[in-house]
Amino acid sequence: MNTDLNMKVNVLPVYTYNFLHVNDSTLSFSDISIDTCSGPEADEVPVGVSLERKIPFDKAGDVFRKNRSRIMSISDDFVMPNGDTSDRDAEQAVRTGLGIDVDRLFVDLSATTDIYTVSENTVVSKPVILRFNMQEGQGNLASYVIHAKKNSEVTVIMDYSSEQSSSGFLGVSTRLLAEEGAKINLIKTQLLGDGFIHFDDIGGACFEKGQINVVSLELGAKNVWTGCYTNLVGKEAVFNCEMGYLCREGRFLDINYVTDHRGKKTDAQMQFKGVLMDNSQKTLRFTIDFKNGSSGSVGNEQEDTLLLSEDVINRSMPIILCQEEDVDGRHGATIGQLGEDLLFYMQSRGIDEEMAKSIMVKARLESVARLIPDPQLAQKVQYYIQNVI
Amino acid sequence: MSEQSLLQVKDLSVSIDNELPILNKINLDIKPGETHVLMGPNGAGKSTLGFTLMGNPHYQVTGGNIIFDGQDITDFSTDKRAKAGMFLSFQNPYEVPGISLGSFIRNAYHAQTGAPVKLLAFQKSLKAAMQILSMDESYADRDLNVGFSGGEKKKAEILQLLMLNPKFAILDETDSGLDVDAVRTVSKGVEEYQKKKDGALLIITHSTKILESLHVDYTHVLVKGNIVHTGDGSLVDEINEHGFEKYISASNE
Amino acid sequence: MSENKQIVADIDHSLYDFKDIENEQDFYRMKEGLTEETVLKVSEEKNDPEWMRDFRLKCLKLYEEIKMPNWGPSIEGLDMDRISSYVRHKSDMKGKWEDVPEDIKNTFEKLGIPQAERESLAGVGAQYDSELVYHNVKDEVAAQGVIYTDLESALHGEYADMIKEHFMKLVPPTDHKFAALHGAVWSGGSFVYVPKGVKVDIPLQSYFRLNAAGAGQFEHTLIIVDEGADLHFIEGCSAPKYNVANLHAGCVELFVGKNARLRYSTIENWSKNMYNLNTKRAVVEEGGIMEWVSGSFGSHTSYLYPMTILKGNDSKMEFTGITFAGKGQNLDTGAKVVHVGERTSSVISTKSISKDGGIGTYRSSVTIQKTAKKAKASVSCDSLMLDSISRADTIPAMDIRTNDADVGHEAKIGRISDEAVFYLMSRGISEEDAKAMIVSGFANPVSKELPLEYAVEMNNLIKLEMSGH
Repeated sequence: MNTDLNMKVNVLPVYTYNFLHVNDSTLSFSDISIDTCSGPEADEVPVGVSLERKIPFDKAGDVFRKNRSRIMSISDDFVMPNGDTSDRDAEQAVRTGLGIDVDRLFVDLSATTDIYTVSENTVVSKPVILRFNMQEGQGNLASYVIHAKKNSEVTVIMDYSSEQSSSGFLGVSTRLLAEEGAKINLIKTQLLGDGFIHFDDIGGACFEKGQINVVSLELGAKNVWTGCYTNLVGKEAVFNCEMGYLCREGRFLDINYVTDHRGKKTDAQMQFKGVLMDNSQKTLRFTIDFKNGSSGSVGNEQEDTLLLSEDVINRSMPIILCQEEDVDGRHGATIGQLGEDLLFYMQSRGIDEEMAKSIMVKARLESVARLIPDPQLAQKVQYYIQNVI
Repeated sequence: MSEQSLLQVKDLSVSIDNELPILNKINLDIKPGETHVLMGPNGAGKSTLGFTLMGNPHYQVTGGNIIFDGQDITDFSTDKRAKAGMFLSFQNPYEVPGISLGSFIRNAYHAQTGAPVKLLAFQKSLKAAMQILSMDESYADRDLNVGFSGGEKKKAEILQLLMLNPKFAILDETDSGLDVDAVRTVSKGVEEYQKKKDGALLIITHSTKILESLHVDYTHVLVKGNIVHTGDGSLVDEINEHGFEKYISASNE
Repeated sequence: MSENKQIVADIDHSLYDFKDIENEQDFYRMKEGLTEETVLKVSEEKNDPEWMRDFRLKCLKLYEEIKMPNWGPSIEGLDMDRISSYVRHKSDMKGKWEDVPEDIKNTFEKLGIPQAERESLAGVGAQYDSELVYHNVKDEVAAQGVIYTDLESALHGEYADMIKEHFMKLVPPTDHKFAALHGAVWSGGSFVYVPKGVKVDIPLQSYFRLNAAGAGQFEHTLIIVDEGADLHFIEGCSAPKYNVANLHAGCVELFVGKNARLRYSTIENWSKNMYNLNTKRAVVEEGGIMEWVSGSFGSHTSYLYPMTILKGNDSKMEFTGITFAGKGQNLDTGAKVVHVGERTSSVISTKSISKDGGIGTYRSSVTIQKTAKKAKASVSCDSLMLDSISRADTIPAMDIRTNDADVGHEAKIGRISDEAVFYLMSRGISEEDAKAMIVSGFANPVSKELPLEYAVEMNNLIKLEMSGH
């Protein structure tokens, strides 16, 4: 099956100046071959986890729809920010980073969803591992719902790989629900070939003391869109995210991460560490949204971007929206090349500039790679990093 | 009674967030010019008593009352207590960017007295007070407590004590984290306050460094929210030697 | 020397909000609405040269074509059919204060303008509704060759070519809908030229007063600071409150020459029925310095992002701003900078305060072009939330196209801590004063950039906003 993609994705939660061309991103390709509309099954479904295969995409969203009034709860005093875009995604079962156009694509192509449900009070020690071994010319749409019931914990690893010289298409949607006291650890490693078009869309909700942790490494592919929208609904809900990325040789990476704080004492920590080389481009949108009623909440977003070529284009939109007095919101960004002091220090130890750069690139990516709980995959990622640098 | 009380604390009980009781039926009677010391192990509730006397809204009075200078101030807001003549030297004074120490004291002075501040006279007495505390004059122009070292912050608190000249001052761990010289300087400031006026003091401490050069009338020992013992100034030396064990074990019985 | 900066004297609440009943026959008022006819009428009133008349018509067409912005505060409450674009007193502009009509003079006297001139300004311009009513420069400043005049006379005098060369070149009418509107109906405003090497030691000031209800003010300010010259220009704005919408769509174009320096300070206190859609832009040549100091307190709705183009190598800009959004206000403010030249540097530092349901949005963009090697940019924005019905949003953007740049960004949102209030209250300061003090302290980095009288005015405004008048 060949199809044309024409989607508007990664829309900012609030619009800003149009001349910057960052309000959204256009994902448009004609004649993309998509041969598979369901995801690979896990190597093993661990005890405590149940799997329902190939549920229609829309129906798989029912667990979110059922809780919609909770997830989208809003106080009477709520005032919209200027340029608000939430209307756009209002029909999604749960709002995601890329937005409604992804849902439409999955529905239009009758793609299916695998639902992994974790039983109450169960801490699953073995990770659920989903391996995408993409072949040359292959096109795949895959969708998952991870539903962690009360006081459960699960780790899901998604490994997107292919031969380095290969081309193809991979679009993944992952929707997450962490109920009261539940914890979902999601690890995504993207080592796709140089000609791949890839999108990775995440939407999640955490109830009281629920927690979603995302570790993600974006190292390969040609054009990548990735986004994550997390609703911190209940009291003391938590979202942690660590992303490492590497963009080289004409690559294009477009990111949209949002934490929507609705419950009291919620906590979001987002860290983005990356390297831009050659003539690559990156756009990072990251938003902390403190809704009215989220008193006692904390949000922190940090970006650390190393620019290693004069032909890169780096765009950053660190947004904080706030309608709550008692919150602590912070953003920090450092963007630039290797610091002169650091370079001098390294050189004084006999390390030349090129070497110093590669040490720093590796250090950045490996600090994220270290968080991968599966030793085999961690090693694979490390080899990949060693190889490309 | 020959002399009237300045501060009377009657059966004062205190909790936080209406949950944990921290102080239990505390009684104190402090007369003008007296120096009381409140000692006790960590977590006994010493700072809570200081904050409660000063009216920190974080601490709720669940029973009893506080009479200061003939008025029941239990429900007074913090600023009204200060205007009535109370002062608290903070253990961790707050940093306020954008307001200089000098202008802050002048504003506080003005707020308490209501009278216009005579600038030259004020500058003169500020300078004199800073000299007593061996504080560099430049501190007057620096933002309140911002970037001050621990010792400088404590000196700035005592400077406010001298300038505002309250009837009653609570010193909360004013000596903690200071080196010997700084303790000496700070006690010099406190002595100055003692002799300048009929000022009363409640010194909260878990060590005794600051007390070496000060005259003490009464010593209270606070353990787990209760005053378990009251004695005269010599109790300080005794605790210094033997510690709190005997009081702690007594309270466990 | 900041003796009484923190606590200010009691405020006369009527300071800005008095109205002068306009004696109708003394004023000429254009009929409401915007048509080719009204534009031609303004042009005729202004005795425009032909090129300007054509330019106005071109701008009107653009205005009709360009869409409303999709990103900022709502401007639905603004109905151009109810706005008169031109209101002026029937007397001419005066060079002597005594000759200014009595009613207008009273207004400015109440605002303290002539007094300020006597005390600390090199020159003053005063605009009342659509036209300047008064313009004066101190003799010694004029003797240095400094030109400070209304734009209309400049358009017909010896600087006509210079105006034509610069007018709306930096802010083209295609820029956005209200720039086009400005081009169509602009009137009033000042022209300043500071010749090569001339340093003006004390500031020049323009004061804008929009007194008529349901009117628009579209003044154009054009300042050229030639090579090595130095100027501080201050603008103040105020208006009485009416129940109908007023519109301010002024335009400020600043040309900072090689090694020149321009500081542009604004205390904006438009009344809370004002739609303030103002455009300000500067271009800076090699080694030049542009400094903005901006306080936004008034207006119902604001779109205000002074922009700086650092064109020459080693040029610099600094932006220091504060915005106080109170009840019923939606103030969308910030700054834009484009680095073009090598070793250019920019520092944006803003503070915003939101209270009583006010919406304060900090919006900015920092663009570093490929040519801007060794550029440095730093942004820091702090927001203070005083309650949970207000909003404080921070929407910055960075677009960096060279690796040889150093860009830092910091943003913080927080509240007045209970501990800080308790600490101040423990020294006998009332809760309200304690909060006002902390807010003044928060605003201090901005007020210390202002001349003393303006710092006092700003603190008055903060005090006024904090008391919730």
